[in-house]
Amino acid sequence: MKADVIVDAKGLSCPMPIVKARKAMEELEVGQIMELQSTDKGSVNDFQSWVKRTNHTLESMDEDNGVYRFYVKKGQES
Amino acid sequence: MTVKVITAKALHERMESGDPPFILDVRNPQDYDDWKIEGKYIKSINIPYFDFLDADEGVYQLLPKGTEIVVVCAKGGSAMMVAEMLDERGYQVSTLEQGMLAWSQFYTPVTIVERAGLKLIQFHRLAKGCLSYMVISQGKALVVDASRHVDEYLKAAKQENVEIAHVMDTHLHADHISGGFDLAEKTGATYYISSSEMEGAQRVFEPLEKHEIIRFGTVDVKIMAIPTPGHTPGSISLLINRQFLLSGDTLFVGGLGRPDLGGHAREWAQDLYETVFKTISPLPDHVWVLPSHFADIKEINEAGYVGAQLGEIRKNNEIMRTEDIKQFTECVTGTVGSTPPNYKEIVDINRGATDVSVERATELEIGPNRCAVHHG
Repeated sequence: MKADVIVDAKGLSCPMPIVKARKAMEELEVGQIMELQSTDKGSVNDFQSWVKRTNHTLESMDEDNGVYRFYVKKGQES
Repeated sequence: MTVKVITAKALHERMESGDPPFILDVRNPQDYDDWKIEGKYIKSINIPYFDFLDADEGVYQLLPKGTEIVVVCAKGGSAMMVAEMLDERGYQVSTLEQGMLAWSQFYTPVTIVERAGLKLIQFHRLAKGCLSYMVISQGKALVVDASRHVDEYLKAAKQENVEIAHVMDTHLHADHISGGFDLAEKTGATYYISSSEMEGAQRVFEPLEKHEIIRFGTVDVKIMAIPTPGHTPGSISLLINRQFLLSGDTLFVGGLGRPDLGGHAREWAQDLYETVFKTISPLPDHVWVLPSHFADIKEINEAGYVGAQLGEIRKNNEIMRTEDIKQFTECVTGTVGSTPPNYKEIVDINRGATDVSVERATELEIGPNRCAVHHG
C-alpha cells in the first residue's frame, strides 16, 4: 500500500507513537493514507483503539521483525 | 506545579486510608475492562490517553476537582502526559510510577494470626489476586505458593528474624510463575511439590506425597499435607494445627477451583467431587480456609485478609452441598470462563521445562488471574 505520509515512531514508547500519528493526520486530506511505523508493542492495541474512536479507518497492519506498520485512511472531520 | 510520581506502595497506603484517591486509568478500554486497580473504596474511571489529545471539554468534566487524581497507564509514559495536561488545568494530580507494570508486582503482607509458637502471614499480590503464605515457628519458616518476586519473602524472613527451611507449592500454578524453586535455591530450603505435578520436569524437588506430616519449630506446628485433587491431579492442601487449611486453588472463599486447565475437565471434576465430599467434608466448620487466590477484592475480610471458616463457605456456596455428582460436574465444568492468559507457557516454566528472561516473565504475567470460579 502506498502512503501519502510516513510517520517513523520506531524506538519511541507510549504515548509518542499516537501523538505523532495524530499530528501527521492533521496535515492530510480526507481519503489520504498515513503509514505509522512503531516498535512499541504496547501501542498496537492502543493504536487500533484510537483509530476506532476517531473517524479514520485502519486499512491494514503488519509486523516485520518487531516493526509494526499501520496504514490508516483519513476520515471526515466529525 | 509539578506532577508528583507515587510508587505502588504509596498508592496502596492511600487506598487503605480514609481518604482514597480517584484513579484515572488512561489505557485503552479493552485493557481496562480486562484488568484494573481495585479496592474497597476506590473510585476509578477509564478515559484513554488519546482522547485527551483532541481536547474536548466534556472529558475534563468527568474528573473531580479538589480530590487527588492518580493517573495510571501501562508503564507510566502516557499517564505523565495526561497528568501534565490536568495539572495545567488546576487539577491535583499524580501518576503511578511504572503504571500497571509496577502494580502487577506489588505485594503486601498481612498477619492472620500471631500467638506463642505460631505466626501466619498472608502475602497479597493485589493485582493478580494471588495469595501466598509464611508460617513461622521458633525461628523457622515455611513458605507456601511463593510468587516469582522472592525478595518479598526474603525481606519478610529478615524482618521476622527467621530462616526459611521449607518451601512448598500446593500445585503446579497456571496463572503465575512460581517463586518456590527459586526461593528454595536461594535459602537452602527444601522445595516440596507433588510428583504428579512435575512429570518430565528437570528440577530437583521433594515429593510432597511422601510427607504426610511436616513438623517444625515447636512440636505444636503440625502441617498435614492432604491430597485435594480437582484443580490439578496433584493438588494438595495443608492443614496447620488442625485449624488453618491452606487450600491452594482447590477451595476458595467464594467457590471451587477450575478443573479444566489440563484438558480433562470432566475427569478432574470427578476428583474435585471426591475432594469436596470425602476429604474436606469431615473437617469441622471452625477450620479457617486460606486459599491461594481471591476472585474479587471484596473477599478481603474486615480483618484485612482473605479467608473464611469452612462452615461459612459451606453455607454460602451451593456447590459445596451439591451431592448429585452429575449436577456437580455440570456446574464446575460449565462455569469456567476464559483461561488464564499464557497458561500453557507458564505451566512449562513452573515445571522447569523452559526458562525465560525477567522481561518475558513480567509480560507473561500481565493481566488478571482466572483460576477461581464462581458458582453463583
